[in-house]
Parts: sequence; structure tokens; C-alpha cells
Amino acid sequence: MNPEVVSKLQKILGRDRVVADETELLVYECDGLPLFKNRPDVVVFPRNAEDVAQVVRLANEYRIPFLPRGAGTGLSGGALAVEGGIVIELQRMNRILSIDVENRIAIVQPGVVNLHISQAAAPYGLYYAPDPSSQMSCSIGGNVAENSGGPHCLKYGMTTNHILEIEVVTAAGDIIRLGNPAGEPIGMDLVGTIVGSEGTFAIVTEITIRLLPKPQAVKTMLAAFRTVEECSQTVSDVISAGIVPAALEFVDAKTIEAVEASVYKAGYPLDAVAALLIEVDGFRDGLEETAGAIVEICRRNRAYEVRVAQNDDERAKLWLGRKGAFGAMGRLAPDMITMDAVIPRTRLPEVLVAIDRMSEQYGLDVANVFHAGDGNLHPLILFDGRYPEQVEKIFKMNEDIMKLCVEVGGSLSGEHGIGFEKKDFMPLVYNDADLETMLRVKRVFNPESLLNPEKIFPTHRGCAEIGKHSTTNTAEISKRVEAILLGSPEKVQR
Amino acid sequence: MTIDGILPARTVRPQSIEELAELMASERGAILPVGAGTQTFFGNPLRLADCAVDLTSLSRITEYVPADLTIHVEAGVTLAQLQRALLENNQFLPLDPWNGPAATVGGIAAVNAQGPYRAAGTIRDWIIGMKVVEIDGRISKTGGRVVKNVTGYDLQKLYTGSLGTLVIIAEISLKLRAKFARTATAVARFGDVETAAAAVATVRKGALQPVSCVWTGPENEVWLRFGEDPRAVDWQLKNLPPLADWTVLEGADEAAAWERLRDRFNDFAPIVTRAVGLPSAVHEIIKEYRPQAWMAHALNGIVLMQFASPAEIGRMRQKYRAVIERAPVEVRREIPTFGLNDAEYELMKRMKDAFDPEGRLNPGRHIDGERVAQR
Repeated sequence: MNPEVVSKLQKILGRDRVVADETELLVYECDGLPLFKNRPDVVVFPRNAEDVAQVVRLANEYRIPFLPRGAGTGLSGGALAVEGGIVIELQRMNRILSIDVENRIAIVQPGVVNLHISQAAAPYGLYYAPDPSSQMSCSIGGNVAENSGGPHCLKYGMTTNHILEIEVVTAAGDIIRLGNPAGEPIGMDLVGTIVGSEGTFAIVTEITIRLLPKPQAVKTMLAAFRTVEECSQTVSDVISAGIVPAALEFVDAKTIEAVEASVYKAGYPLDAVAALLIEVDGFRDGLEETAGAIVEICRRNRAYEVRVAQNDDERAKLWLGRKGAFGAMGRLAPDMITMDAVIPRTRLPEVLVAIDRMSEQYGLDVANVFHAGDGNLHPLILFDGRYPEQVEKIFKMNEDIMKLCVEVGGSLSGEHGIGFEKKDFMPLVYNDADLETMLRVKRVFNPESLLNPEKIFPTHRGCAEIGKHSTTNTAEISKRVEAILLGSPEKVQR
Repeated sequence: MTIDGILPARTVRPQSIEELAELMASERGAILPVGAGTQTFFGNPLRLADCAVDLTSLSRITEYVPADLTIHVEAGVTLAQLQRALLENNQFLPLDPWNGPAATVGGIAAVNAQGPYRAAGTIRDWIIGMKVVEIDGRISKTGGRVVKNVTGYDLQKLYTGSLGTLVIIAEISLKLRAKFARTATAVARFGDVETAAAAVATVRKGALQPVSCVWTGPENEVWLRFGEDPRAVDWQLKNLPPLADWTVLEGADEAAAWERLRDRFNDFAPIVTRAVGLPSAVHEIIKEYRPQAWMAHALNGIVLMQFASPAEIGRMRQKYRAVIERAPVEVRREIPTFGLNDAEYELMKRMKDAFDPEGRLNPGRHIDGERVAQR
């Protein structure tokens, strides 16, 4: 990169807010998806929107690609600097600017960790609903970019349903505010259009979010089944009974095996072929009965064990198994990749059988732990990164899984986004006209395509090399999950 | 049908999305998409209409999978038709736009029309995908058919509320929910604005979770509708704000009461504005602008107000966002409907130009009529 640019960046931000050293830059060569890597030329750490705007204007002047990055936990390569350039790291813009208890809103900077919002709001009996599995480390700015989900989105909606107003720096470097604290779109819904645009429309520098009152009561239970069909039927029956669970999570035998052999041991029955973690919340009155109705549905579908958490500790333990699943996979294989796809929930049984078959065909183990209530699959593919042919197989298998999900009426991603990982799969879902229209909207926001290039739209250019500083290594992942789930005093889910 | 004093030279009524696409491909004039025509009063004044496209024949429910909680409907399906189909499976959508159940789903989406269920969201929150026809006749889709999806851009959000000025919405996929096991509505009349405001504040800060919370004036009634589990509804009815005489309505009485409220709102004239502020500002908005009558979605910071003259709109916009909900065309010729700031205006204008460079889709109604000088 032109050294002039680096020195100008240093002038704008100060030397300590610009990283151009090749070794230090290695940390930014990939995000939470290490299957792809490329080193940016420089990383900057702005303090505020004005800093971001100045960097963006400089990038435009020199025609250098640039992209925002939060905590780097994204799983689709959204923060991958495909063409190098400037990474605008927003993690240090991490202040909660205000919590308006009366209006149940919070104004936050993009680098605030998702869970920290709920923790800050907790004394007022409020919380922020979307809870991606990475909520203890992912940033709210990244959540906005990806329209992140999480287990409780089944009842409470995705990120997009909770964002009221945003301040953004446009691709040209202007600072503008969109939306309003009432969350009422006026004219076109530009906030709704930008949320989920994966950092290709604008860089979000301030976010007004909706907070919800904590439910009066929560009931969490685990139901164990001997067949996937009975388990899936239970999911359908709960939904058709008119119950809106707060979460409805599926855990398969392989996951249970890993979890029960790990520090996240939650007492999941080891002989279960599949289990459901079900949570209902709301007013205390009536919740017992709703939970009872679910237990009844489980039993009718031949659940051989149904355990209802009797207190907060038992509840936390049930969730620990689910949340720690990713960290427990080291028991089964040295490396893993988390996939993401979504299908109509009624197609669950056949899709799980088909994925099982693929697992055999490719000789790669697959563990399934996912959001069953909304049909959002997360096959965890287990492999050994020392064998390059296994890595190749993962790409092929990922493609097969995508094709399968699209064939049954599903889609490529339920919550991780398309990013770099899945851009070449987009034609499976969208035809040329669909993509051309999306591209047209992108050009309105980002006409030069300098902002986060090479994302979402197919280009058929791969760079399959595993990045060093994020990892597929299950031991590494285990260490991180452990630090997050067990190391912190706050084991709060909401 | 005459809109803003303009009678379209022709009206066409496509029988299928493909036919609509062919029509669009061959049409060279200004196009006016119309559904049931229940909210043609909304928006900046229509400037030109060579061809009205009546979408009411696109009235098929193309697929409904109750077990997946999804339905896919053509744009001309009415809300009444949709809810009827859903009720057969004990499902529904908490949508009750003020313009009533005769409105088409496409029209409700085009306007992002809302009603007392505002506290539970708008149609924006239920749309999971769309098929649209563009100005050149091209059919494109956005979103998908599953309840959770982040594949590609969320253009259904962009099209919702764009008033048929970017594309014509042809088919909509919606996620659904189970019908509330029970609903009940509590209504109380208060002596003055202050006591009504206090009751609303109690609700806003407290444990109740009404799916509707409407504060009407000048009679100062507060309407709270509860839905969900029967016992949860009971608990909420037992914990209504104190110092008021609440009447609880259920069943047919409840439905009829909400219909009467809708009629009351639809009688607001000649000028209705939608002020938007923080929920805690609702009281202040009512006090400061002294509308003749109002309906506030009090938990959302939205106040629909009736005025005799447009004088207050400008004053209101100095402090709050305010949209003209309904006004004679003469008023809308003078005052822009949305009251956008420059940044919003520029971005929306660029969006319009990208989709419809010749300005042939519903000319004048939305962003292209927002700056009076450009009319």
C-alpha cells in the first residue's frame, strides 16, 4: 500500500490507532471463519464517527478498498479483507451511551459486546433479546451488519426487529442518521434495508436498540428421544399446538456424547438419539400449564425422558450443555466448521437423514445442534485439518448441504450471512434478475464498491487456505468457549 | 377511480403475475398500481397516471403450510381473505390497519399500513419474502419462503412502505403465528389528559404487555388489548392501572368495539397527521399541538391527530417527525407528506432513480413528490 496513505491515517487517528506491521496484521487475516484468509494492508481503530468518516474519505481519495470489522466472530467471512485495503476496527468504539429506562431503549456504539447490553440493562429489569451463541464476545455493530439471530429469535425476532435508529458513515464518507427512536419507518425503510447488508451498504457508528422487560418467569426443559423422527414431530406438534416457545433447540447424539464428556456436562441422556431443549417464558400465570402441555406433547411422541429445570441452577446447566457444545467438539475431532442453513421446519427429518448419508459418503463426522423451532440448521462438520483432502471435502459437502436445503424450499443462511463463504452459492437461490436488483441497491449505497468488496455476489473466485489466527482447531475453540462460558463470573443468558 | 383529481386514461387488470410482467414490459406511460383502493389518499399528490394497474385479480393464496407457519399470497389477496384462511388453522396475523380488512395485503405492505396492533408490530415484521415486478417488466424476488433467512439483501424492507414507487409488489410470503388463545380489551375513560397520560405511563413502565395500547382523544379513553395465554390475560386484567373504572370486553363485543374505534378514526378530517416521538413524549405532543381529536399508539410514540388546518404540521416538524396521514390534495401540494431531512431525501431519491429512472411508477406519490419545487 502507498506509504503516504498510512502516514495520512496516522495523522488523522494518531500512531497508536493505526496498525500496518505485517505480523500484527496477521490477527486480521480472517474472522470467525478461518477457511478463508487474506491480510489487510492496514487496520485502523477509530474513536468516533468522525474518525471513521475521515478514513473512508481518504480511502475514496486513494481508491483503496475498506471494510468495517467488529469482534471478528462472524462465520461467513464478512470481515475478510478480500482485496486487502483498510480494515476499520470498531471494537474500541464500545460505549453504552445511554439506557432510557422509561422508553426501554438503549443507545450504543457498534463495538459494544452484545451481552454487555443486557448486563447493563439488567438492574432495570430490561434486556436485549437477540442472543447469538457468540453473544459473550460478538459486537452489536456486527449483529446489525449480519442481522444476527440466536436461540431466542424464535419468539422475539432477529436483530432487524430490535433496531430503531442508526447513525452510519456512508461509503462516500458522510455521517448520516436514519430511523427514529420510535422505530417508525418514514418514507422508505432505510434502517431495515441496511440491517443485514453485511457491511456492504454503510458503516454503522451508533445504534438505538429496543430493550424488552425481562419475562416474569421462565421454564426450561430437556426431552430425550430414541429417534430423530419423534424428536422432529415434537417440534411440529409444539408449534401446531399454538405454543410460541422462547427457544426450541435440537441436540443430536454426537453432540450429547461430546458435551457429556466435557466440562459442560449437563446431564443430557447419553443414550438419546436426539434431544430437545425447550424454553417458554412470559407471565408467571399460565406458564406452568404451557410447560405441562409441552411435556405432554413430548411424551405423546415417545420421549423417554423429560426433565424440567426446577431452579435457575438447573436451567443454567441445561443451557450450558447447549452453549458449550461448540467448545466440546475437541473430544471428537481436531477441527470443526459450523455450517448454517435454513429449511421449512416440516422438512427436518428427511434433511437430517440426508445429511447423515452425506456424512457417511464423505467420511466426515457431523454433529447437529441447532434452532429447530425455526428450521435453522447448524451442522458441525468434524475433520482433521492436517489432511488437505479433508478440507477439500468440506467445501464439497457444504455445497451439497446448501443444494439440499434449497431443494426442500430452504435457503443458504439463517443467521450467519453470505459474506465471502457462500457468495458463489447465491445462484442456487436467486436468478440473474434477483441478483441484478440487489446489486442495483448496493450501487445506490456503495457505487464504487470500495466498501467491503467481493461479498455476497458470486464471482467464482476461491482462496481456500486456512487462516492462522482464527481457528478450526477444536482444542483452540474449546479454550475460547471455556474462557467465555466458565471463566467469566457472568453466566447470564439474558 | 380518480386519485388526487387524476383519472387514469386506462385501467388494466392482469390475471397473473406473468401477465402483469408483460404489461409492464410493454407500457411506456405513467403507471398507477392499485389494490382495493382503501388508502389512495396517502402520499404526495399523484402527478400523472396513464395506466392504472388493478391488482385485485391477483387474489390467489399460492401456498399455505400451516405446520411451517408460512403463507404465500398474491398481492391482491385481501386482509379479510388472508385472516379467514389462517383462522381455519387457528393461526392469524396481528394486523388491523385503520383502512380495514378490505385492504389488500399488497396495499398494506406498500403503505406499511398500521392500526391498533401497532404495539405488536407492523406487516414489515411478518414479511419474509416478496416477488415483485419491476418497471421494465422483469420479475425479481427477495427473501425466501422460510421464517428465518439472511440470504441476500432484505429488499422486502425497502419495498414495504415504498408506496408502489420502486416496484409493483406481486406476491408476498409471510410468517404467521398461532391465534391468541384468548384476547380481552380493557377500556377506561379518564377525566383529563393528565390522568390518561398517567395511566399510559403506568402501562409503559410496568409489567403489562398489551398487544394494543391506544389513547384516544378528546374523550381520553385508554384501550388496552391483551392476547396470549388465557391465564396471562387474566393476570394482566387483574393488574390494570389503578384509579380508573375499566370495562373489560371480550368476544363479539370486543371485536365490535375495535371496529367502532376504527370508524371513529376514519372520521378524522380534514387533516390527519402522524407524529412520531419517543413513547414518553406522547403526552407532550398532545398537550403542545392540541389536536381536535387523536389516537395514539402510546407504547410506540406515535400520535395520529386531527386538525382543521395544516398550520400545526410545520410547527410540529421543528420538534418531531410528522407524516401527513390524510389531507386534501391542496394541502399535500403545499406540504410534503413525509418531511424528510436532506440526507434521507438524497438517499431515497437515488433509490427511486435506480429503480425507476424515468419516474413512471406512481409519479409524484413518494420521494419524487417530496420536494415541492420538484413537482
